[in-house]
Amino acid sequence: MAVASIAHGIAPEGEPDQLYAETRDLRLQGFLLFLISDCVLFSSFIFAYLYLRNSGQGWPPPGIPRLDVGFAAWNSVLLFGSGATMHYALENWKHGNFMKYMWMLIFTIILGLGFLGGQGYEYTHLMLVEHVTWAGSGVFGASFFTLTGMHGMHVFFGVCYLTVLLLQSAAGTYTKQKYFGITAGTLYWHFVDVIWVVLFSIFYLI
Amino acid sequence: MHVDLATLERAGAVIGGIVVGVVAFYALYKDWSTPGIENHVFKLMLLLLGVGAVLAILAGVNVLGNFPKAA
Repeated sequence: MAVASIAHGIAPEGEPDQLYAETRDLRLQGFLLFLISDCVLFSSFIFAYLYLRNSGQGWPPPGIPRLDVGFAAWNSVLLFGSGATMHYALENWKHGNFMKYMWMLIFTIILGLGFLGGQGYEYTHLMLVEHVTWAGSGVFGASFFTLTGMHGMHVFFGVCYLTVLLLQSAAGTYTKQKYFGITAGTLYWHFVDVIWVVLFSIFYLI
Repeated sequence: MHVDLATLERAGAVIGGIVVGVVAFYALYKDWSTPGIENHVFKLMLLLLGVGAVLAILAGVNVLGNFPKAA
């Protein structure tokens, strides 16, 4: 009813909580569609990379060093760990443990920043020591920096989003019944993790 | 005993991977019977998170990504 009222430009009747309950599924579907569209974006770049990789003579191309798998594995664990802490942040919110929720959210932000720092270190090492650049190292440099850079940008925006969530939660924006923002943040962060599972596999492990 | 940075990174990847893997699969086990689209998506993502942790462990112990040095 409330959804129909909004769609027709009529002020919805009933309590705000009722309006929230009736529109929550729509928000969830919208957010999942956003994640699916982001998935399509990454998929197109990933398949382009795999096509280019398999059309050349060997990988990495001559003159390009192998990436540091040990460091990447360590950095990946930071991001995967942040996925676990974010999941427990949401669980703690659902169970009313506000302080545990806040700490888990803070750990998630710190681990996310740690991952970004690791990626910055790897970029710096590749560019300054190995002389691998986005524009000057052919298909390898272009695909590696484009895909990991695009993912890093998602992590950065995710960290910003989680910081906003932290401030909003401290300000009392969410309640035990109304917390879609936290659910969306958790879904987004898991999505970023899952994309990295794929990128880690195709760039470092195969 | 000489421990270099690369060994520490790999050890960190293995230990961290085990912790994250256990947490992810335990959370998946606990949430297995929860209904609703959002929980199904969470379960899928927890599964993939666990797979990522396993990959990090295998990379840390040199089972995956252990390529020969270029000549």
